Amino acid sequence: MLKIPEEFVRNILFWIQEKRWLLIIALMGIVLYQLPYPDNISPEGYRTLILTLIVIGLILTEPVPLPAVALLIAILEVAFHIAPAAEVAKSYMNDSVFFIMGSLMMAVAIVHQGLDTRLALGIIRLTGNNVKHIVLGFTCISALLSSFIGEHTVVAMMLPVGLSLVRNCSHQKPIPNLTALILFSIAYGSTVGSIGTPSGGARNAIMLEYWRTISDAGISLTYFQWIIMAYPMVLIGMVGTAFMLQVVFKPEFNRMDTAIRRLKIQVAHKGKITGNEILTIIIFALVFLCWVFLNERYGLGIIAISGAFLYMATGLVEWKQVSQNTNWGVILLFAGVISLGVQMKNTGTAEWIGNSLMSQFAFLMDQFSFIPYVLNILLTTIMSNIMSSSGTVAVLGPITLSMGGEPLYMGMTTAISSAFGYFSAIAAPACMIIYSSGLVKITDFLKAGWRMALMSIGTLLILYYFYWPLVVRFTNFK
Amino acid sequence: MKFLLAIKNTESDSRNILDIGCKIAEGFSADLTICYIGKKSQSLIEGDVNLARKSLAEWNIHHPGLEVLEWAYSVLKEKGFADDTEFNVQNLVEEEGRIRMVLPMQGNYQIRLVLREGELLTELNREVKRGEFDLAILGAPDRKRMTHKFAQFLETSIFFVKNFQPHWKYKILLCVDDSRATKRAVIFSTRISKQFNAPIISLTVSKTSFFGKGYRNAHSWAERYLKRVGIPFESKFSSGDPVEVFIQEAGSDHIIIMGKAKGSELLQFARGSKPIHTAQQANCPVLLVQ
Repeated sequence: MLKIPEEFVRNILFWIQEKRWLLIIALMGIVLYQLPYPDNISPEGYRTLILTLIVIGLILTEPVPLPAVALLIAILEVAFHIAPAAEVAKSYMNDSVFFIMGSLMMAVAIVHQGLDTRLALGIIRLTGNNVKHIVLGFTCISALLSSFIGEHTVVAMMLPVGLSLVRNCSHQKPIPNLTALILFSIAYGSTVGSIGTPSGGARNAIMLEYWRTISDAGISLTYFQWIIMAYPMVLIGMVGTAFMLQVVFKPEFNRMDTAIRRLKIQVAHKGKITGNEILTIIIFALVFLCWVFLNERYGLGIIAISGAFLYMATGLVEWKQVSQNTNWGVILLFAGVISLGVQMKNTGTAEWIGNSLMSQFAFLMDQFSFIPYVLNILLTTIMSNIMSSSGTVAVLGPITLSMGGEPLYMGMTTAISSAFGYFSAIAAPACMIIYSSGLVKITDFLKAGWRMALMSIGTLLILYYFYWPLVVRFTNFK
Repeated sequence: MKFLLAIKNTESDSRNILDIGCKIAEGFSADLTICYIGKKSQSLIEGDVNLARKSLAEWNIHHPGLEVLEWAYSVLKEKGFADDTEFNVQNLVEEEGRIRMVLPMQGNYQIRLVLREGELLTELNREVKRGEFDLAILGAPDRKRMTHKFAQFLETSIFFVKNFQPHWKYKILLCVDDSRATKRAVIFSTRISKQFNAPIISLTVSKTSFFGKGYRNAHSWAERYLKRVGIPFESKFSSGDPVEVFIQEAGSDHIIIMGKAKGSELLQFARGSKPIHTAQQANCPVLLVQ
C-alpha cells in the first residue's frame, strides 16, 4: 500500500492550520451557494451577498494577501454571473481610487521632506512648556492638519515629535499617564480631524463615490459642502478630546521644561527652512485650493494624482521612493471593494440587506425616525474597531445607504462614525503605532475609548438632528 | 550546532530564556540566534504604519522589536556571552521578510539578532526552516493548544522555558522510552547536566507493571551511556499514566528532557502525544528532543 510520508502529512496539517480561515470561508461560500435562494432577492443579488460575506471574512482574517482578495472579487463577480467581464473591469477604476492612489503618493513625498521638525518647533513655540497646552496643541494641530492632508501623513509627521518628547521625559521617572496623554492626543486628534474634509481619509472619498454611483438621488457633494457638514464635528471633537484625555490620564507633572529643551536641541540643527520644504508646502497648498475650487470639474482623484505628479516632476521625491513606500495592495483592494459595492447596488443586495436589517426594528421606526441613523452609527463603529475605518466604509457604505434614512445624512453618518475606532489598536495607523511602541496598553484604549465614543456619538446625533437640517434648508446644496 | 532563542519582551520571562539559553549554548558551543517576533499590523493600514516607522527612524526611534533585541544583546554582554561590540542599527540587513543584525564572530561561535513580524508560529517555523536550527528555546505559551502546535510543527528540538528560576538548583528528569528520539534526548541531557551541574533521574514509565523489551533496552542503553560519561544519575522504573508520573516526579525543580514522539502526525494533531501533554501540563522547563 502507498504510504504517505509523515513529513508531507505534517506540512499539509501546518498549511491547514495556517489557512484555516480560508478553508472555513470557502466552505461557507460553497454551502451558501448550494442552499435554496431566498425569494425576495434575485439570484445575482444572492450571489453578491455570498461574495460580500467572503470578502468581509477574508479582510478580517487575512488568510491571503489583500491584493489577492481584490483579484478574487473580480474573478467571482464574473464567475457568479453578477456582471460581465467588461463591466467589472470598468468598475475597478474610478475617481476615488485615483484619490486614494494620489494621496498615498503625496504622503510619501510630504513625509520625505522632513517637515516634522518644523512642525515640532511650531508646536513648541505655540504651546510652551505647560502639559495642558501641549496636549491641546498636539490634539488640535493633528486634527486640523489631518483633515486636509490625511491622517496617515499627519501621523507620520507628528508621532516622532510626540515620542521624542515622551522619551526626553521618561529619563527622570516612569510617566505612564503623561506618555498615554501625549500619544493619544496625536492618535485620537488625527482620527477626529480626518472626518473634516473629503481629503481627510480614503473613506471620505469612497463615500463620495458611493453617493455618485449608488445612491438613487445621485448626490454630488463638493469639497466645501463636506467641510460645512463635517467641520463642526472636528472643532467640537478636538477640544473635547484634549479635555477628555486629561480627565482619563492625569499627568505625573504639569510642566515639561527639560523635555522641551531637549527637543529644541534635537531639532535645532535643521537650520532655516529650505527651498524644497517651501516647494512642498506650495504644491500641497495648490492641491488643496484645487480640491476646494475645482473638485466638481476635475474630481478629487485627478487633483490628487496631479499633486503626486508635481512632487515627482519637481524632483522632490523619486519614483523609487514613491513606489517602495506606497501600499499598492490597498489601492487594488479598495478598487475591488468599490466595484463590489456598485454590484451590491445593481443587483439589489444592498437594498435587501438594508431592508432586512431595518425590518427587525420596524416597530420602533414609526415612533423614532432616527433609528436608522443610530443603527448605522453602531454598526459602523463596531466594524471600524475590528476592520479599520476605510475598509468599513467600503464594505458597509452601500448597505447603510440602503437602510432607509436620508442618503446624504446616512452617508455622512457612516463616513464620520467610521472614525470612531477608539477602542482598538487596529482601527487606525496611529493607534497601531502607539500600541506597538509598548508605551500604552490595550486597557488604555478601552479607558479612553468609551468616553471618546460616547462624546463622538452624542455630537454626531446632535449634528444630525439640529445642524444638518439647518444647513440643508439654508444652503440648499443637495 | 545552531540554537534559536525566541524572546517576546524585556521582562523577567525573556531574561530567564536568555539565561537558560546562554548556559545551554555554552555547553554545546552553539551559534545563537536571538529572535523577536512582533505583531504585524493589519494589511489595510500596514503601508501607513511603515511610512510612520520610516519617519520615526529619522528621529532615531526604531521598531520596538529592535529595542527588545538591543536589550537582549546587552544581557548577553552582561553574561560575558557577547563581546563589547556596540549595538548599531546601521548594521541591520533586511532580507526575505526579516531584519537581521550583522555581528562579529564571538570566538568560536556566532550571535545573530533577528527581527520578524507576523503570526508567531508561522514566523518561528520560517526562521527554524531557514536557519536549520538544532534547538529552539522559547517561553511556554499561555494556551495549551499553542504548545501543541509548537511541539508538532517546529521541525527541531524545542525547549519550553516554563517557571524557570535562575537561582534554583535543578535536577534533570530524563524520560526514557522506546521512541527513536530517546537516544538523542539522553545525549542532550548529559550536556545540559554538565552545564547546570545537575544530577539526572532516568525514568521509564509503563502503563502496566509489564515493561516491554523496547522499554527495557532503551533504559539499559541510557544507563550505560550515563555511566560512561560519568554523570551522577538515578535510574527508575515506574508504572502508571506516563504523563502524570513525569509531571508528579518533576514537580517544579526539574528540567524534563524527553524525545519527541515519532508516531502518526495526523493522530498527534488530533490527540496530541506524551511529550506534547507533558509540555502542556508540566510546571517546570521541558525539553523535547527531535
